[in-house]
Amino acid sequence: MYRWVEHTGELEVEIEAENETEVFEQGFEAMRDLLRSEEAAPSAAGERMRVSLTARDRPALLADWLSELAFLAESAGFVPERVAAIELDENRLTAELLGVRGDPPHLVKAATYHRLALEPGGSGWRATVVLDV
Amino acid sequence: VGRRGGGGISLRPDELEAVLREGPRALVDRGIGTPDDAERTESRGRVEDADPEHVSDRARQRGADQLGTMGSGNHFLELGCVTRIFDGERARSLGLAEGQVTALIHSGSRGLGHQVCTDFVRAMDAALVHHRIKLPDRQLSCAPLGSPEGRAYVGAMAAAANFAFANRHAIAAGVRRATAEVLGDEVARGTRQIYDVAHNIAKLEVHGGREVCVHRKGATRAFPEQPVFIPGSMGTGSYVLVGRPEASERSFGTVCHGAGRQLSRTAARKRIAGAELRRELEGRGITVRCPSNRGLAEEAPFAYKEIDHVVEVVERAGLASRVALLRPLGVIKG
Repeated sequence: MYRWVEHTGELEVEIEAENETEVFEQGFEAMRDLLRSEEAAPSAAGERMRVSLTARDRPALLADWLSELAFLAESAGFVPERVAAIELDENRLTAELLGVRGDPPHLVKAATYHRLALEPGGSGWRATVVLDV
Repeated sequence: VGRRGGGGISLRPDELEAVLREGPRALVDRGIGTPDDAERTESRGRVEDADPEHVSDRARQRGADQLGTMGSGNHFLELGCVTRIFDGERARSLGLAEGQVTALIHSGSRGLGHQVCTDFVRAMDAALVHHRIKLPDRQLSCAPLGSPEGRAYVGAMAAAANFAFANRHAIAAGVRRATAEVLGDEVARGTRQIYDVAHNIAKLEVHGGREVCVHRKGATRAFPEQPVFIPGSMGTGSYVLVGRPEASERSFGTVCHGAGRQLSRTAARKRIAGAELRRELEGRGITVRCPSNRGLAEEAPFAYKEIDHVVEVVERAGLASRVALLRPLGVIKG
């Protein structure tokens, strides 16, 4: 699950999940929440996007993953609907996304490293990411 | 004006290169805006040391069709009216008079500039061990100015600043075009830029006899007699001020660039719905054009600190002096 927490200047998301892959999936859900058009009716996901990322470590990979979704929305008008496949391998991520072409809001500029965390916690994993808006 | 496909100027790679090097002047050459607009801009619209070579392909991709667009979040174009003059002489020298209609533009280097930031936060994060830098927060990623990463960043940041000046220049030219369409060419010819100033930048400047690198993050330059703008919120008002000499020693010639938020976006949305806020503002004679009710609610006037108080603090701190108050007539948000 993910939840938005109070942050005066930016948007901060907290994620709890059973495993790291699920943290990345929940991060996707949070971004989908922001990138969905308020007016557009839901439509069949007709576009596929492949994403391949490498980072210095897993927290940076999580930030890059969310930044990539913001980039695809801004540069290609890609509104993500769901993750068809996702694979984590060391500090690499490959994923296939389904979505639609649209006019998503350019609200999120990038995921930052501010207070960035991805670590074991509770009975699974916890993450915090601050999004620059 | 705020989103993809929303009226931005599409640039060929060579045109984008020219904007990154020359700022607004590259647009004046294409008939967009006037040379006078470019002159009335911080650093005359062209920050020295711009080096587009260090602006990544991804940043260029983000910026290629965004010139002349505002973006979302707190960016806006506010039409206002000068309702009060605090300093007649300075107002006259800036060309401001009571009853005048004004357009105040808040935008920046859009996705291009943010990608420059993202690229260099990552590059410097990787070089921290080499430079033996330990940080309390990873986003404070940095490198010595004279290091290869530091020099490259300064070049890319300056190029992004030139892009931001050009972006606001293009939006201002759009305001002039709209004025011509609605009120006629003669009125449009009477419009002119008062000033344009950066709000996220680091610059080498001399203060107190020393050369220092001044980081202005969410802040603007306020050199003596330079125009300064401090917007409040879409329901209150905005101030035009001029910088004071004391600001150099007190704040490295810097003031805030807005009232500043006091409520998170989530808290603002909990207090009012966008549609309700729209009705409330329009009931007070403030026209609102914003494609997103959610975005509108997040920028509700009560989410910001009280502008009159903020400006009073700036003035009493000796950083800048009030010249004019602008009351909002309408706001466009991206």
